[in-house]
Amino acid sequence: MASDKKKSVKNYILPVIIGVISLAVGLWLSQQILMNTNDTRIPKNLDATVLPNARPLIGFSLIDENKQTFSPTQLKGQWSFLFFGFTNCPDVCPTTLKVMQSVWKTLPTKMGDTGHPKLYFISVDPDRDKPETLKHYVQYFNPEFKAATGDLNELDKLTNQIGILYGYDEKEDGNDQEYIVNHSAQLILVDPKGRMRAVISPPHVAKTIAANFQTIRLFYGDK
Amino acid sequence: MFLIKIISRTLFIFLFFISTANAADSLQIENAWSPEAPPVAKVMAGYMKINNLSNKDIKILSAKSDLFKRVEIHLTEMSGGMMRMIKQENLKIKAKGHIELKPGGLHMMLMGKLKPVKAGSVIAVTLTLDNGKTINIKLKVKVDDAPQMMHHHHH
Repeated sequence: MASDKKKSVKNYILPVIIGVISLAVGLWLSQQILMNTNDTRIPKNLDATVLPNARPLIGFSLIDENKQTFSPTQLKGQWSFLFFGFTNCPDVCPTTLKVMQSVWKTLPTKMGDTGHPKLYFISVDPDRDKPETLKHYVQYFNPEFKAATGDLNELDKLTNQIGILYGYDEKEDGNDQEYIVNHSAQLILVDPKGRMRAVISPPHVAKTIAANFQTIRLFYGDK
Repeated sequence: MFLIKIISRTLFIFLFFISTANAADSLQIENAWSPEAPPVAKVMAGYMKINNLSNKDIKILSAKSDLFKRVEIHLTEMSGGMMRMIKQENLKIKAKGHIELKPGGLHMMLMGKLKPVKAGSVIAVTLTLDNGKTINIKLKVKVDDAPQMMHHHHH
């Protein structure tokens, strides 16, 4: 009886040791991975959705208001706000750009300063919105504001990564001028590494956006 | 002679009632305005408060303006993660009620701008109502320095 019991305990010792060791190694590894690649802390008291793991925006090629390439490269080096819309939009787009005009007035930085953001108004209506139109449109709100658009293929590469939706109503042959574009109205904040960092949902309020941006900027830094 | 006096007085009272009934039969527009848009923009928006002073519901059936190809009333609504613009075939203002057209909600959509429209000018719009009447309104074009988006409360 006694030797039987001894034998059964002996049989368990090895698997238990292996189990404990692998658990310890697993814990150590996961901690190393978390510490090395992701700092998942996020700033508190925000009226914005901050992504604990910033999402790199990659693989799209659009054209900006000066007919220059707008690709992931242009998103690096400074914070950027992205807003998706179209110039034939009577309500949401001009109101949002007006709100951003107010935000720009309250920024503690000037163009060229470290931490000074860019704003890109990205048209999801490339059939009607050409770079020239977009340039006049955004610069009416602020001469610093930038714009971009491009082939639907390329636009989708960007919007799909962000989760921006858009679609056309009443767009058919012979009605090329007066159709309606429905679109997501979130403001997307991209960090200086070109990664999506936060989403600000409508209704947009200048004071809130300005305060949230400063908090996020100071929390993550300008690099 | 006496009869004529009676008739004329009755007629006068009758006409008086018709005219006051007329005034109370229509809509009263408050604070009609349009934010100045970039000159390159083909569309503009119109915002206002519409009071129905009468005892009957009134529907706005259509709107037009000489400065635009088409005028419609739309509702900006958040649905399925998108801001959708939903065309309103007509706009009903309940008896003794009112409706507000504001940024981020109901708005007049002025489409296909035909002439430049700048701050300080006025956009004349004619509304056709379901009671057969038309009313002329004037949207004051101005630069909105403190824009606010309407919160989407559904009452």
